[in-house]
Amino acid sequence: MIEKLDITLIVNGRERHARVEPRRLLADVLRHELGLKGTHIGCEHGVCGACTVLLDGRSARSCLHFAVAVDGAEITTVEGLGGGDELTPIQQAFHRNHALQCGYCTPGMLVTVQEFLAREPDPDDAAIRRALSNNICRCTGYANIVAAVREAARALREAGT
Amino acid sequence: MNEFVGRALLRREDAHLLRGEARFIDDVPEPDGTLHLGFVLSPHAHARILEVDTAAAAALPGIQAVLTGADIAAHVQPIVAEVEIEGYRRHGRDVVARDLVRFVGEAVAVVVAEDPYVAQDAIELVEVSYEPLAASIDMEATTAADAPRVHEAVPGNLVFEGRFATEGFDEAFAAAPHVLKERFKSGRVGGVPLEPRGCLAVPEPGGALTFYTSTQIPHMLRTAVAKYIGCPESRLRVVVPEVGGGFGTKAQIYPEEFVTAALARHFRRPVKWIQDRREELITDIHSRDHIYEVEVAFDGEGLVQALRSRVRTNAGAYSTLPFGCTLETTGGARMIVGPYRITNYAYVAQAVVTHTGPVGAYRGVAQPSCYMAIEGMMDRIARHLDIDPAEVRLRNMVPTAELPWTNVVGVRYDTGSYQESLRAAMEAIDYEGFRAGQPADRLVDGKYRGIGICSFTEVSGTGAPGWRARGLVRLPGFDTGLVRVEPSGEVTAFVSHAHAGQGHYTTFAQVVADALGVDFADVTIIEGDTAAVPYGTGTFASRSAVTGGGALIRAATKVRDKMRRIAAHILEAAVEDVVFEAGRAHVAGVEGHGVDMRRIAETAYAMNELTLPEGEDFGLEETDFYDPPLVTMANASHIARVAVDAEDGRVEIEAYAVVHDCGRLINPMIVDGQIHGGVAQGIGEALMEEFVYDDEGQIQNATLLDYLLPTAEDIPDITLGHIESPTIDAVGGFKGVGEGGVIGAVPAVLNAVGDALSGLGIEIATKPLRPSLLAGEIRKVRDGSAS
Repeated sequence: MIEKLDITLIVNGRERHARVEPRRLLADVLRHELGLKGTHIGCEHGVCGACTVLLDGRSARSCLHFAVAVDGAEITTVEGLGGGDELTPIQQAFHRNHALQCGYCTPGMLVTVQEFLAREPDPDDAAIRRALSNNICRCTGYANIVAAVREAARALREAGT
Repeated sequence: MNEFVGRALLRREDAHLLRGEARFIDDVPEPDGTLHLGFVLSPHAHARILEVDTAAAAALPGIQAVLTGADIAAHVQPIVAEVEIEGYRRHGRDVVARDLVRFVGEAVAVVVAEDPYVAQDAIELVEVSYEPLAASIDMEATTAADAPRVHEAVPGNLVFEGRFATEGFDEAFAAAPHVLKERFKSGRVGGVPLEPRGCLAVPEPGGALTFYTSTQIPHMLRTAVAKYIGCPESRLRVVVPEVGGGFGTKAQIYPEEFVTAALARHFRRPVKWIQDRREELITDIHSRDHIYEVEVAFDGEGLVQALRSRVRTNAGAYSTLPFGCTLETTGGARMIVGPYRITNYAYVAQAVVTHTGPVGAYRGVAQPSCYMAIEGMMDRIARHLDIDPAEVRLRNMVPTAELPWTNVVGVRYDTGSYQESLRAAMEAIDYEGFRAGQPADRLVDGKYRGIGICSFTEVSGTGAPGWRARGLVRLPGFDTGLVRVEPSGEVTAFVSHAHAGQGHYTTFAQVVADALGVDFADVTIIEGDTAAVPYGTGTFASRSAVTGGGALIRAATKVRDKMRRIAAHILEAAVEDVVFEAGRAHVAGVEGHGVDMRRIAETAYAMNELTLPEGEDFGLEETDFYDPPLVTMANASHIARVAVDAEDGRVEIEAYAVVHDCGRLINPMIVDGQIHGGVAQGIGEALMEEFVYDDEGQIQNATLLDYLLPTAEDIPDITLGHIESPTIDAVGGFKGVGEGGVIGAVPAVLNAVGDALSGLGIEIATKPLRPSLLAGEIRKVRDGSAS
């Protein structure tokens, strides 16, 4: 048997403990040990972006990190983006602009956009498309996602957040 | 009444998807004791299995069992596609190979583990000895006399051949003054949904089984799984969780689904299998591996006098369930005439087997490829006669005034807007303006710039006669709606479809609300659970709006009629004097003399002091099974404007316009989303996507690093317009829209590149158009002219 190690992660602001094999992927630990199934797995080789989370504030592929290697890190998943019953301004913009169909890529997209708009609050379309190019969507053709990010950027600027 | 249909209502399904609360197949709670499967895949395209040594894998802690093909055969019968069409050769498939493997990725053993990581460890420990055999990979060479045989039952590797010719074809062809000929090669692609496949089988008391699986066809899947694993169909419940994209890839019934369900019964424990991306890329159905050799005979005005085609499709190693391997072949041969008045037509359509992955029904099926051919020929006619390509199309199209029209293979086009949609798309992209400024050599600012059109008809909403015409004898065609008014007066509607992102909970509720005359907010849609929903065909081939919408309207109409009868009884009025609107019935012309829906419902459920009319049954629910006609024909025109880099061969799409006609729109926002997504897939298919097999049958690009999917930077803004020509042949006026985006985009982009490079004399007859391919072609011409 492979020896398991104790790790601690700060996930969505809460301290969480898990005892995991060193080879266990962060994505699997989030999903199966911690029950946060909003983080999706699409390729397990770091291309599709469905598993994107914030790792110490920066977007990261949770399928490319071993959980034990990020022991102690702060992680934000899609479940940690929202403020309770209300959708966040980015989530609302996705809803209003029909920026999701099957919704499988959506959690990774939202995390990517959250980081992007915090860094670039007033992006043009080319910058939006560049930022989104880290995440594959097979349903929407991206047009409505671009529109949603544009609208979310405006809403966030107007709210002064 | 038309209060909700036609409105861009926001989707009900979004909130839980946006919060990460949706439950896809890998999110369905696993019961304690769930076993996890792993499949050992063949590394050879063609080989004899000499021995499968399971000892080391079976000895691994946490392994429950390691099963070979022979072991699995005790639980699952060989599967046979039920195609009955002249010229088709039936063959079976062991769901786990026993003697021979026939493509790289075919399963040869199954490991059953306590944990998915342990399953992966065990896969590495299964020792399989093979005797490699020569393989048939190339779809032309596979029918050579000395080519390695794929199946004993398929001599010459020709699994299907169909022929057709109109009377007097040869004379008509010979009489035309001009003939052009081309060979088009369409590259092999796949749906590649972002969520790989998976399933979870949970034994229930009394020998029953609940089977969660990521499918588009729960009812047909249930029938097939029950049959091949020997489970009573009535004890098998199929439940579809959220599905992360389907595109036809999940409208198949796969070996792993039979194995997972069978082993849950065998071990009497929950059994789960989740696919990884490499498995998805090499074992899920592929599509579009076609060759079209077409000859078109035409007059000096560009009018097509006769068309001859030889269609050959690569069926891969096995015919699949439920569509067999002839869907693309018959589709390509039959749909190629598109919106054009082509009355002399002859085809030879062949499907060939090779030692490559099985093929199936990816979004658009044969249409992107066969329109690549016919639309490519329209451009060649235009260049040959020096007439504008748009004008050649307009002259050949069936004018709206001549509809209904029955095409040369017997398919009826009831309504449509072929010329109108092309003219509108030309306007949207300023076609004339672009042409006016376009130099003969097409070179502007160091890039070759061109414009390309695809005008097409889109088969949708196929009913039973349509499937029979293509040899699919056990594919039902109908779908079912069950509409129930609850005692509260709220409405629950059940439909035999299964969504994978199309927004059914929203659009079907719009349809039911209008058909019943109630508020959209009061209607709840349920689908994707065979224990709750009556039988039906499922969600593929652009059919939900037509078949599901039609069934729901018919069922709702029956409920509404019953409510009117009850209301008439309560109001002591004649039934024909009672009108029903906005959730309330009243006597026509006397709005004050009425009764609301809740009171009607309470009466139906015997929950008040009132009685039902004489002979009326309790309850307030009706079911209707709706089988649409042969097909319901949508249409559209796509126009792409591209720039081809003269040095590196990269194609940039500078503008893109679509004018689409899918009849009556249920929800324009969702329709637009379907088209956007389809166009993106079509651009991927035209420019970058292709599964590449080497001579030994190894896929060279089985990762998403190497099989390129379009990103946000590859897809342009799309100008989108609609024309609504409601169908008169199907209930509701709806035509399908799911596939149109991809169908139009592939030929439009290829033709735009062909136009851009026409000054160099380069003809485009292949896809994808990778930069290296185009750069090489451009260099050849330039080097040739320099020397």
